Amino acid sequence: MGRGADADVTAAWSLAGQHLANDALAGLRKDHSPDDRERSFAEAVVRMDVQPVTETGLKKVEAELSALAKGDDEIAQASAYLIGRLYQAHYFAPDYARAAEAYTRLAEKFPGGYWAQLGLVKLALLKLYALPEPAGPAARIVAAEALFPRVTVPELQRDLHLVLGRAELFHEYAIEAVLAHLLAADRIGGLTQIKRGELQLQIGELSRRARHWDQARDYFRRFIVENEVDGRLSTAKLRLAQIDAAQRAEESHR
Amino acid sequence: MKRRKFRLMLIVFGAAYVTALWWVFTRSAPLISVRPVTIRFAHWQIEKGPPEGFAAVIQRYEQLNPRVKVEQVAVPSPVYRQWVRTNLTGGTATDLIEFAYWLQGMNDVPVRYFEPLTRDMEEPNPYNRGTPMAGVPWRLTFDDGLYGMLSQSPEIGQIYGATLSQGSSRLFCNRELMARITGGPVVAPATFADFRRLCAQVTEYSRRTGRPLHALAGSYSNAQWLADFVMIGTLTGMNLDLDREGYLGRVAWQAQTDYLLGRWNYHRPEVRAALALLREMTEQMRPGFAQLSRDAALQEFTRGEALFIYSGTFDATSLKRLAPFPVEAMRLPQPTKDDPVVGPYVVGRYQDGYLGTGFEMYLNKQSPHKAEALDFLRFMTSVEGGQLFMDHSGWLSSVRGVNVPKDMEIYRGTMDGFSGGFQYVGVGPNSTMKFWQHLDLLVGAQGSVDKFVEAMDTGLVKDVSDDLRIEIRTAVTASRAADSEIVAMSALNRLQAPEAERALRQQTMAGNQTLAEINEYECLWVLERHGYKQP
Repeated sequence: MGRGADADVTAAWSLAGQHLANDALAGLRKDHSPDDRERSFAEAVVRMDVQPVTETGLKKVEAELSALAKGDDEIAQASAYLIGRLYQAHYFAPDYARAAEAYTRLAEKFPGGYWAQLGLVKLALLKLYALPEPAGPAARIVAAEALFPRVTVPELQRDLHLVLGRAELFHEYAIEAVLAHLLAADRIGGLTQIKRGELQLQIGELSRRARHWDQARDYFRRFIVENEVDGRLSTAKLRLAQIDAAQRAEESHR
Repeated sequence: MKRRKFRLMLIVFGAAYVTALWWVFTRSAPLISVRPVTIRFAHWQIEKGPPEGFAAVIQRYEQLNPRVKVEQVAVPSPVYRQWVRTNLTGGTATDLIEFAYWLQGMNDVPVRYFEPLTRDMEEPNPYNRGTPMAGVPWRLTFDDGLYGMLSQSPEIGQIYGATLSQGSSRLFCNRELMARITGGPVVAPATFADFRRLCAQVTEYSRRTGRPLHALAGSYSNAQWLADFVMIGTLTGMNLDLDREGYLGRVAWQAQTDYLLGRWNYHRPEVRAALALLREMTEQMRPGFAQLSRDAALQEFTRGEALFIYSGTFDATSLKRLAPFPVEAMRLPQPTKDDPVVGPYVVGRYQDGYLGTGFEMYLNKQSPHKAEALDFLRFMTSVEGGQLFMDHSGWLSSVRGVNVPKDMEIYRGTMDGFSGGFQYVGVGPNSTMKFWQHLDLLVGAQGSVDKFVEAMDTGLVKDVSDDLRIEIRTAVTASRAADSEIVAMSALNRLQAPEAERALRQQTMAGNQTLAEINEYECLWVLERHGYKQP
């Protein structure tokens, strides 16, 4: 048994992690004291998932999380983060402004905390796509980029780079700017499976379009070596052949 | 007294008889099982082949596991979606369930009802001991590394099932008829021009002999598979052209947002050319094919009234067992750059067949025997299980390391070409329905490409917007479900001795959730600014 947690709470988390919310809820002791933060937190999170999810049920979860968020421990931070998530994704009508407010407050209170920094990545998404202000794409990208210095957890920095790279692609920014983000994300690393392969393909393909032949070749080769069963393998190989041909043609014109 | 006793006996006998009848029709299982655990799995593959394949797998599994009894529940495809939904909601579903991402209106099902297998997939399959797949993570023992399943997963990076088979679409040829029509040896058409010539020979033979005969057996389903072949090949270039993100492929939400952004429509020249080729191909089917079922096409072919049937290799076993003549599977040649109809838009050879493995089995989250069901799934997809299934079903196994008979090698898709990823036969349930509802404007004597593209693009913004809303809804559902798992991983590491693997899982889930939300927010952005708005 772990550090002071009761067995029913640990079991509930384990079941919640497997999306077995009803089992998790059934296993939690009902006679706990209201001061038992671990158990209250587990119950609130599990209730977010218990079907049928209702607006009233989510309101109760929010009230519980708000009470838990008043503390100073990790439970407080995760609770504050989940309040943002409730407004961003769980309520049937999302309230992006309130979600953004929750993330901003959390980041001010616990700037170095994991949940606060994950909240900043979500805040970047909201600023880029969902909040009414700033209005134009360029201003949105500037607003999201301004969050960078506050995100210090490496894998969250990586995700923020990917968020910004995609936003710049979406708004048709210059490929060089996009590539800078994607290459930074790749340097941090840690992506697995299909996402890792897709980043390799993206860098390869965008580098090809920008005529960075060596870089394009390098990333397509990495993709080919690591993804022997991906459906895009032959297109990647064909791209390598096209890169060779284009580079030869370019050199013969010099 | 005697008469009362007799009556009583009669009543008892009658009651026993009625009880026996009720048992036979509703339970059909022995009163006492010597095996304490019974697991059941449901599927809709009631063609010739798979039920026999499963029976062989079950027999072997039960030999290896005397505690467990396994039953297959074959559900006809027309009622399958309703069956799955009703039983999952009512808590009466089987332990393992066949499911597919393309089942319409069912996008929410995996996240809500199926157990993610991602972690299990990273462990070796214990049933592969002593085979070339020993020690290999389960995911990588599938021919496509479950790429198809991963790329279609409602929750990025999450694997919800295991695949049993793979296949592609092929031309199945009546060899006797071909010899009679061509007057020479039976040779598969090598080029698309050869195929056109064969079609002309069939028409000429039919006219000369007065025998009702078509080059292709026709039905709505067979036309759909043909459309996939024609559209994906011609539109590979368009797919690569639209590939803003550099993923070398397109998926549904991208095709939907691209449409709303005006990046493509049915008037685009390459789409028109693909439709012209589809029109030409369907002219080789009997009139009224769009009203006919897949079974009708199968019967037309087995009656010898069509030289070919273009179908999935899942029909191969049925065709070979039912046809009173030798049947040969052949590749339908791809149009090339010199093709008079689509040539200008052909970028090169494209992937032939479906590269992903399919026939997906999912683990019911509410199964009372999850461990046993997972174990059986591992056996079904082991080298031994895959071999048994393939040998007895005639369906190509999804598992690496099985010995594939020579005549089945042709069922495999080939990787030597471009992969485009999307065929634009609609881009979601609403637009796809519109495509097929308007097919009569494209095919037949009264049909034309002009009429069809005009009808398709009129009001399609509304259908595509509705399709996009469905995509967003599914993405939001998956994203919500990830929250509790992310927080749970973190809590367990706080409360127990921290595990590096669990921490990595939490990071991966959080990252994947964010990446999925990028797609979701791009969709929302486009929908809000360019989607259909109720007047």
